[in-house]
Amino acid sequence: MALDAFERTSLPLKRLICLGCGFSYDEALGLPAHGLAPGTRWEDLPDDWVCPDCGTPKSGFEMVVIGYAAGGADLAQHA
Amino acid sequence: MSDTASSQPQIGPRSFVLRAEERGHTLVRSQGPQSSYLAGHPEGFLTRESSFNFHEYQGGRPGFGPMRVFGDETFHGAGCGYNMHRHHNFIICAFVLQGELTHINTAGSRGMVDQLRQGDFYVFSAGSGGKHCELNVGQEELNVIYIWFLPSQLYLPPSFHRGFFDFRNRRNRIEQIVGEADGALPIPNDIRVSRLAADAGGKHVYKPSSPLHGTYVFVIDGGLRCGDTLLGRRDSSGVWGVDEIQCETVADATDALFVEVAMKDDEVVKNWERAHPGR
Repeated sequence: MALDAFERTSLPLKRLICLGCGFSYDEALGLPAHGLAPGTRWEDLPDDWVCPDCGTPKSGFEMVVIGYAAGGADLAQHA
Repeated sequence: MSDTASSQPQIGPRSFVLRAEERGHTLVRSQGPQSSYLAGHPEGFLTRESSFNFHEYQGGRPGFGPMRVFGDETFHGAGCGYNMHRHHNFIICAFVLQGELTHINTAGSRGMVDQLRQGDFYVFSAGSGGKHCELNVGQEELNVIYIWFLPSQLYLPPSFHRGFFDFRNRRNRIEQIVGEADGALPIPNDIRVSRLAADAGGKHVYKPSSPLHGTYVFVIDGGLRCGDTLLGRRDSSGVWGVDEIQCETVADATDALFVEVAMKDDEVVKNWERAHPGR
């Protein structure tokens, strides 16, 4: 279901990990090298989007609540 | 699979039993598009018995605490294995049970080529990114247990450590081999792996760090009575909410792993349990 403008800005930003290889997608960071701007919601990624490293589909990602190591956010954004 | 309770108390004895034949079975051949992933084209193939959901197998538990993969894998034939591929974040442990694992890893400034035999094991924390390749270059079949864990922090510096479990000198007691302990390999999360190689008739007690820690007991060989549950070869049980687990070996040459994890990150698993009452 599409989110309305209020829901988009009020929902916390999610962090997800690929269960095939450990690649991560962080909504706050996006993946600029893959054409995904910071703030791009997981729901707004195309249904046929797959892990750039191992090809795992979106359904094979899990939301995680794990913090970054020092400097980790920058590494995640450019992984 | 059976479960002792259907509600979700954080504390209080909980357990499940997973029999060897209930695990997810996958066979991957090094043919077609899969041959870039799996080495040994054209005849190489690999079989994988998964305790938790992994790749094609999605019919079981999602995991246990931060453990997401427990794969009992057999590489059939010389040349079979996984070609060089990349990981992030996951902590990957391998325990070689039979045959020889040739492991090539990009960790460190020069990377490494390593060969591991029965009793050898490694802990590879992929962290900010690392590649590895795992091959059976010998004629004997290669049997390896692979365990993947989520880390305590994302994008840590990658690390690789290897160890050896001596079956002869570390016998008839539960020996911690991974996690904070003398001589154990370091791992970047609240995780301990112990191993028991024992003769029949021995009584052993495993004490997790707290009742909020779960222990996944996997019988590699032989037989182990765990509380009231008799576990045979490749059977396993997850237990949490207890101060200790009473075990008795019921066969000679019993070999078992005890994987202890913090259950606090278990929301995904709890959601699965709510959707699958009685399992």
